[in-house]
Amino acid sequence: MALMITDECINCDVCEPECPNNAISQGDEIYVIDPAKCTECVGHYEESQCVAVCPVDCIVLDPNHAESKEQLHEKFLRLTATPA
Amino acid sequence: MSTLTETPALTKKDFESNQDVRWCPGCGDYAVLAQIQKLMPTLGIPRENFAFISGIGCSSRFPYYMETYGMHSIHGRAPAIASGLKLARPELSVWVVTGDGDALAIGGNHFIHAMRRNIGLKIILLNNRIYGLTKGQYSPTSELGKKTKTTPLGSIDRPFSPVAVALGAGATFVARTVDADQAHMAQVLKRAAAHEGTAFVEIFQNCIVFNDGAYDAITDKSVRDDARLLLEHGKPLLFGKNRDKGIRLRGLEPEVVTLGENGVSAADLVVHDEAAEHGGLAFFLSQFDAPKFPVPLGVFRAVSQPSYEVMNEQLHADARERRGRGDLAALFNSGDTWTIK
Repeated sequence: MALMITDECINCDVCEPECPNNAISQGDEIYVIDPAKCTECVGHYEESQCVAVCPVDCIVLDPNHAESKEQLHEKFLRLTATPA
Repeated sequence: MSTLTETPALTKKDFESNQDVRWCPGCGDYAVLAQIQKLMPTLGIPRENFAFISGIGCSSRFPYYMETYGMHSIHGRAPAIASGLKLARPELSVWVVTGDGDALAIGGNHFIHAMRRNIGLKIILLNNRIYGLTKGQYSPTSELGKKTKTTPLGSIDRPFSPVAVALGAGATFVARTVDADQAHMAQVLKRAAAHEGTAFVEIFQNCIVFNDGAYDAITDKSVRDDARLLLEHGKPLLFGKNRDKGIRLRGLEPEVVTLGENGVSAADLVVHDEAAEHGGLAFFLSQFDAPKFPVPLGVFRAVSQPSYEVMNEQLHADARERRGRGDLAALFNSGDTWTIK
């Protein structure tokens, strides 16, 4: 599953630079995660980097984007593939 | 081949120090730090020309986290130290980061005189209405009746409005924003950065541990539009979820009115003028508070007056022109001198 940021977010901006997929950005009200780019850090790290640094624990699994570990790994390969 | 070295464009990352940020999880200070770090690279100022000066308090940890020059100085004295720096090095962009205790209690004196002089400092006051670092005593901005460790039966001290104090001291730029609204904060800080002379910004900031929810009424999306008034220069003072409430002046008495009721139209509302020389409207607005009035956010006052460092430079230049360069040794020996035997 991709991750999502809930409205507990305090806009501290700690997660954004940690994301290896550049999936996190400043939204209108709070920070947002692009589900097309989020691999839960699969392929990069053992644990989700944003979840590890979030001071208010507001980053959770996004129920609208259910994906298996394998699917996340495929997404990682797609994202990191060098364009032909 | 060019002999000039290209200076790479700075990014937010260039303003982040290698220090771990040690505010409580969920503290509003994080959001302020993020917005200031985002603003810095957009100002076209070399990184070595920034200095962040603070006093004591949670907010005063700020300079540690900025990859700029800075000083974590004496409690309440940051404006004095920053003033000295600005006079010695007027080309620097000097920022003071302070809190409601540091600026308004122990540092009240230095705070008002910086603004009276209109010296080119950006003074950012993180107001959480509590003493957070010392674990929860009431501050000069705590509301009447507030129960804290030092006011177990409720506070009988009337709070300061930092905006009113700044206006009273003659500040030429006075604004207020809130930690939870990043777009508004970014906009206000940008204006402050561009101001010549003292720019004062009060930021409502939530202390999640000792005063959580102090600003819920103006940050909670479901109620905030009715509780806050966003100031826009040249626009009528309009607010409310349906944008149908406004501020009207009856003589010297402001009142909340509803558009369409009793024949009230937008033409009856006060039009915000941040550039008014007298600052009268700004002072009216500084007195607005819940529940009678919405809480104003935005730029209360922005007027152009010569800054202290420019006048000081002129004073020196004129004196040098009239009397030539000074000679300290000659001055020491110029008058009555004597030797103690």
